Amino acid sequence: MFSTITSGAVYGVHSHLIQVEVDISQGLPCFQIVGLPGSEVREARERVKVALKNVGVRLPPMCINVNLSPADLPKNGTMFDLPVAVGIMTALGKVKQEAVDGTLLLGELGLSGELKPVRGVLPIAREGARQGIRRCVLPAGNAWEAALVGDMESIGVGNVKEAAALLAGEEISVPAPTAAPDEGAEKEEALDFSQINGQQGLKRAAEVAAAGFHNLLIIGAPGSGKTMLARRIPSVLPPLTAEESLEVSTIYSICGRLHAAGALRTIRPFLNPHHTITGRALAGGGRIPMPGVISLAHRGVLFLDELPEFKRETLDILRQPLEDKRVQIARSSGSYVYPADFMLVGAMNPCPCGFYPDRARCRCTPFEVRRYLNRVSGPILDRMDICVEAAPMAFADMTSGRREETSAQVRERVMAARKRQEHRFAGTGIHFNADMGAGDVERYCVLGETELRYMERMFSCLQLSARAYHRILKVARTIADLDDSAGIGEIHLAEAICYRQSDHKYWNGGGDAE
Amino acid sequence: MRAMETGQMSGNGKRTAMAAAEEEKAYIHWLYQAAGMGSRGFLRALEPFGTPREIYGMTLSGALSEKLSERFQKKAARMSEFSRGYDVAGAYGRMRERGIFLVTAGEPQFPERLKRIPDPPCVLYCAGRLPQEGKKAVAVIGARDCTEYGRYMAGQFGEALAKADVQVVSGMARGVDGIGQSAALRAGGYSFGVLGCGVDICYPRENRSLYEALLADGGVCSEYPPGTEPRGILFPPRNRIISGLSDAVLVVEARERSGTLITVDMALEQGKEVYALPGRATDPLSGGCNRLIRQGAGLVSSPKELLGELLEGIAGDDARQPKTAQGRLVFLEGVQGQLWEILDFDPLPVQELQRRYEERYGKTIALPALFRELLELCAGGCAGQMGGGYFMRALKT
Repeated sequence: MFSTITSGAVYGVHSHLIQVEVDISQGLPCFQIVGLPGSEVREARERVKVALKNVGVRLPPMCINVNLSPADLPKNGTMFDLPVAVGIMTALGKVKQEAVDGTLLLGELGLSGELKPVRGVLPIAREGARQGIRRCVLPAGNAWEAALVGDMESIGVGNVKEAAALLAGEEISVPAPTAAPDEGAEKEEALDFSQINGQQGLKRAAEVAAAGFHNLLIIGAPGSGKTMLARRIPSVLPPLTAEESLEVSTIYSICGRLHAAGALRTIRPFLNPHHTITGRALAGGGRIPMPGVISLAHRGVLFLDELPEFKRETLDILRQPLEDKRVQIARSSGSYVYPADFMLVGAMNPCPCGFYPDRARCRCTPFEVRRYLNRVSGPILDRMDICVEAAPMAFADMTSGRREETSAQVRERVMAARKRQEHRFAGTGIHFNADMGAGDVERYCVLGETELRYMERMFSCLQLSARAYHRILKVARTIADLDDSAGIGEIHLAEAICYRQSDHKYWNGGGDAE
Repeated sequence: MRAMETGQMSGNGKRTAMAAAEEEKAYIHWLYQAAGMGSRGFLRALEPFGTPREIYGMTLSGALSEKLSERFQKKAARMSEFSRGYDVAGAYGRMRERGIFLVTAGEPQFPERLKRIPDPPCVLYCAGRLPQEGKKAVAVIGARDCTEYGRYMAGQFGEALAKADVQVVSGMARGVDGIGQSAALRAGGYSFGVLGCGVDICYPRENRSLYEALLADGGVCSEYPPGTEPRGILFPPRNRIISGLSDAVLVVEARERSGTLITVDMALEQGKEVYALPGRATDPLSGGCNRLIRQGAGLVSSPKELLGELLEGIAGDDARQPKTAQGRLVFLEGVQGQLWEILDFDPLPVQELQRRYEERYGKTIALPALFRELLELCAGGCAGQMGGGYFMRALKT
């Protein structure tokens, strides 16, 4: 009259296995679920009752108690429907307890008894495998997700009756879990660098940014190809490694966006939220915390178009994740950590009308220009390693018919630079040049005597700031990597200096009287 | 108003004329503050009633509003409201302590050049020194949102005029005005700023250092009482004072429709010489200058030419050579020299420079190499960078 089923739940990006204990005993007929169930979990009662009736299992008029253990963790989500239903059948003796031991059960029930896909299967299955569970029974739509985890037999079933029959030892035929091809990948592959005519400066900057995973700020007039370029950055980024792919897929699984895609993510994500996005949607959160856009962009590109249009408070939320590469969300129910190691690509117009410094078209006053630029908070601009100007397209560029480089060609160079970085940072936990801290810069970006003198001269002539200095060294390191050079040379430093953020004085152009 | 100022000597026989004049000025200061902005008609209507001191008495007793016609009743009410508890001598004394003084049109120190214009201001609030009568004065004016070319030329002219002992008058505005004045002061010359707000207010704020320098080594003036906030309608009238204080007006950069051209109109009305700096036909910020030249303004392309017109036999520097921050001529060689040739005062994107280089010299230049040479030019002060990928000629003064 008592049974225990193993299930699981997601907390942040980590998962816990949850024991679903069911007891059926004499007493006033009742059906209750304890163990901090959220409202979806509490509603499981009704779904289970009806679903069981519709597959021909009648609940006896007895007292049914369900406990979700550990009882002090809040439980949310619909994945407990199947464990509760199977737990009742086990307690009623229709399934043997031994048959369910060591099996992970997850799934949402429809009233007809059919099983529907749920979110977070990948992280739960990984946690189960870690704790020695070798079999899991779950909705057919999720089966391939659990199958990605090694040492795990993943069985997808269509409805609760099939699940019970399977566990009772009957031979039923279930289709082998197969992953559909990544549709997103195909779509993104259609975006290629070769589709951008001209804009050599912009493309070069994007290549450097991609090679070192540097944050990139693109400033340019409307129609100069800022967005077009940003969308094509994932196509030159190195593909996700197996480990990274699992990390990214886990986040997508938690958000319920993996089973829709139907495959493990292999292409780096590209997210471009609209500027009306709220802070919570960006960083993640909610009563039941969910990863935000920055976590979905983990290991990929977060593209913020029209940067000054974003609310200042919203952008300021990015400061901590940009520093820590993760975002921590504290709620009364607990504290959740989501990874957020993304490449930030920002695009903005140079002035309210967008045509500065073209004086024939732009009539913005220097004051207006400055006010517009000041809408982006300084700390965010500080995180931008590379700043590049997108010039309006020249007609000659559009019609030249010159064969432009393809993403594959650019990616080859990026991959070579990536190899050098891998080699350099082996065992340090640093992935890319952009991840280097001040100490790492001193260690890995050593300048020779001539280069040091060159930097000294540029430092005083161009009035660089100390903060810019480290950024320049990091970017120069990436440029040297692209050049397949062991040391950083003058030519690398010069290019990196050109990518620095123009100090605001210059932006003002004819502004102040000095 | 003339009547008021000339009538100030009567009834004060025992005191010295100086102290009497000061006392009378306190009342003039009161009158200007009490009447408020845009009261020229009102002040004219007050003229028959006597000196400002007498008007003050009438205001307090309430006799003034009885004498005035219907349309000035509101003003009169405002005036008596303002005057309640107003300390005439104290307010004037505090203003004097702050280094601000008042010059009336009747006084000998009132700028001679200004007396001769059709519509001179009745009073000037000043700080610093007034322009010297014996020396030439030139108004250097132009667009606020000037180009690098405008910046450079304004600086060159400001410096050269100062070195030739010519006084530079302007409006202390953003862009050309401020740059020309700063350059003149830096070169050890004299400059005078005519403001569209009270002389105790620095507008625009970013010209703080210029404002301080003007107070120390030059002067500022305004026809509005101290404390007057800058307002759009106050600026056009001050332009007549800029041109009025000058012997000639030089327009460095102006759009076809520009506020600068108001000053030019005023200058023509006052019979002053107008000079303009030519620009390229395609350059919107030179449109106004080019049109002025077509209409007969004097064309000057270097400070030397302007000084030649103004004074005789003065040699200035030629502007058309790249110079470093120290003013030394530099000789650019090799690729840098070639790049300097294709650079422009308008910022150009790197890919455009790359293409121009190819077209002009028949050689390709890779982006990293291009960046390196451009940066070298920037470091030498011969080029400037804007944003991530725009470069231009920059000849810093």
